[in-house]
Amino acid sequence: MRERLRRSLVRVGAMAAKETQHVLRDPRTLYMSLGMPVVLLFLFGYGLSFDLDRIPVAVEDRDHTEQSRSLLDALTASGELEAVAGAEAGAAEALFRRGEALAALVVPEGYADDLSNRRGTRVQLLVDGADAVVANQVLSKADALVRAEARRLLGPDLADVAPPIQVRVFTLYNPEGRSAVFMVPGLAVYLLAITAVLLTALTIAGEWERGSMEQLFASPVGRLEIVLGKLLPYLVLGILELQLVVAFGAVAFDLPIRGNGLLLFAFGAMFLVGMLGQGLLVSVVARNQLVATQAGALSALLPSLLLSGMVFPIENMPAVLQALSRVVPARYLVHALRGILLKGNGLDVLWPDLVALVVFAFAVIVLATARFQRRLA
Amino acid sequence: MSTAPAPHRPSARVQLAAVFRKEVGQTIRDRRVMFLLMVAPLVQTVVFGFAVDFDVDRVPTLVADGDRSSESRSHARRLLADGTLAPAGSAGSVAEAERAIDRGEAAAALVLPRGLGADLAAGRPATVQVLLDGTDPNRATVAGAAASRYFGDLGERMARERLAARGMPEPARIDLVPRIAYNPELRSPPFMVPGIAAMLLVIVTTLTSAMGLAREREMGTLEQVLVTPLRPLLLLVGKMAPFVVIGLVDVMLLVGLGTWLFDIPIRGSPAVFLAATLLYLMTTLGVGLLISTVSATQQQAFLGGFLFAMPAIILSGVMTPIRAMPEWLQLVTRLNPLRYFVEVMRGVLLRGAGFGDLWPQLAALAVLGAVILAVATSRFHKRLA
Repeated sequence: MRERLRRSLVRVGAMAAKETQHVLRDPRTLYMSLGMPVVLLFLFGYGLSFDLDRIPVAVEDRDHTEQSRSLLDALTASGELEAVAGAEAGAAEALFRRGEALAALVVPEGYADDLSNRRGTRVQLLVDGADAVVANQVLSKADALVRAEARRLLGPDLADVAPPIQVRVFTLYNPEGRSAVFMVPGLAVYLLAITAVLLTALTIAGEWERGSMEQLFASPVGRLEIVLGKLLPYLVLGILELQLVVAFGAVAFDLPIRGNGLLLFAFGAMFLVGMLGQGLLVSVVARNQLVATQAGALSALLPSLLLSGMVFPIENMPAVLQALSRVVPARYLVHALRGILLKGNGLDVLWPDLVALVVFAFAVIVLATARFQRRLA
Repeated sequence: MSTAPAPHRPSARVQLAAVFRKEVGQTIRDRRVMFLLMVAPLVQTVVFGFAVDFDVDRVPTLVADGDRSSESRSHARRLLADGTLAPAGSAGSVAEAERAIDRGEAAAALVLPRGLGADLAAGRPATVQVLLDGTDPNRATVAGAAASRYFGDLGERMARERLAARGMPEPARIDLVPRIAYNPELRSPPFMVPGIAAMLLVIVTTLTSAMGLAREREMGTLEQVLVTPLRPLLLLVGKMAPFVVIGLVDVMLLVGLGTWLFDIPIRGSPAVFLAATLLYLMTTLGVGLLISTVSATQQQAFLGGFLFAMPAIILSGVMTPIRAMPEWLQLVTRLNPLRYFVEVMRGVLLRGAGFGDLWPQLAALAVLGAVILAVATSRFHKRLA
């Protein structure tokens, strides 16, 4: 029994060695799995941010007084908003259409009079609502700036009657609110999904397409051993990639590593096993590389990007999609990586994620092996 | 009576029609490919149109009420009732609240100090604390702003009441009156769905054309066709034709679905939209062709396509605004056809933009398309020669 196991392991090892040579000899695959993560990490880290500054706002001052100018100065002083000329007489929407302004602010005639006579005055803000995220930022920034100006004007009046209520905000884990710290764990997951599903699906679909899989079966190597041997190098590659991404994230974007590094790789390895199984399943079902790519992208890449909580919060999705996201393994790994890296969570908090990953890996491997056997029969 | 014509090369029109018929027929007959090219983008648009929603609301918030007065309770209740924050239980201490955030049971905690009610009533300064889970910076910012605004308003209101009680004149107020154009409810789908459509189109056209041509190279069928009297350029046009048709049909389906399912308006000129789509397909197919000429196998073509598609998607403004990128990266986005197509789509559909507003984008697409196609075609010729 032990002798059989030993021989079997030798055969798996030989298959793995052969596949490793294939990978090593093809610089493109290596680039894909080790160079591309760095490039993408760079792009994601710098490119995916929602924080806008210097938001172009068309301003129209109908009052032309010292007070109205002081309001406009106060709005643009912080650099969050930037004044653009040309909001006169309904031209604002033309600016929106050309993307030259995102909002238009009108200071009404009589603004200074209203202030000095202690009447209420209304400053109008027209916001380009096409992009809801940007519009919300414009609204809350303009609102805060106008309030601050109002408080500055009224300061002497109010200070002696009521001391202010202070709100102290402490942001845990990511005090500067940097997008990169949020994105990098998600990106690591996404890159692992790409390597594991697409590379295996393409490699194995290529063997089917060329008919070389049948030749391999004619060799004394068992079928399961072939599959294991083929997947093993990609598992190693995936783990290397995870290390690379985390290390690069730590160096380039100050990504903290607060939790246990070994736990990180346990989660990563479990996720990879599931994703490799999915790649195998895709290749068996698709039978050629063109279909395998599209099926892999459809079943693994887009869900990993959009339903994992990596960029778009899961809590906001409708109930059906929240339920669907429960069968996307990336969801659990994204949650676990953020927990380990940013919060320093341990297994006591993250065990449900690990259970989910194990269940997914088990289910998909059973399914893939069953389809694989049937395919050959 | 006519005699049999001398063998000659059929006219370009006849050649083109023949290649077109063959290529379109071949593509349509492959059911799985058709399914992936037509049905998959639709399903994805529906799923992701619903998935992509950045609205921050109902952030689970713990209350650590050190005061336990009716005042502190009423402030906590009113702050948590405004929709941005939602109650997620109470904590006995700051440390307990922090542990709950660690475990992910809450994303924010409101800490009200002992004596808050009495301080407010007596007009003494008071400090409340807000703890935020910063793993999602967007959510943290919005949640923090909601708490700050609530207590800012509260302070101002109390000051005014006190002024009035002393018989002093009410100070002037500045009200910001916002009006939101195009999308008054600030829904995400009208903005995101056109972006998703543009993104899917890259995947469908660039990747499929690159891999399709690489496959022919792998199997050697391209060389076989070239020994026929067909001119290489016409062969190329014929090969691209099914993808142009599929791309156009996909765009129409996606926009139709968007208007029907997500209430996306079509406010601008459909002609500009159509022109931009054709120019955009020219660039994505040109890139696909270019990639196929530098790839020996499908796997390489796929990697090349992916290498183009991922950065193109990230740097397009589909997911995050281009204005939020660093300046040097904004310059890079000017070489990205996806960026211009997304701008045209959103401009035409949402803002009612026309040719007068969008000609720079159309011009950019035309230039990029012409350059890419020229380079790709010359490389294609060289490869075959």
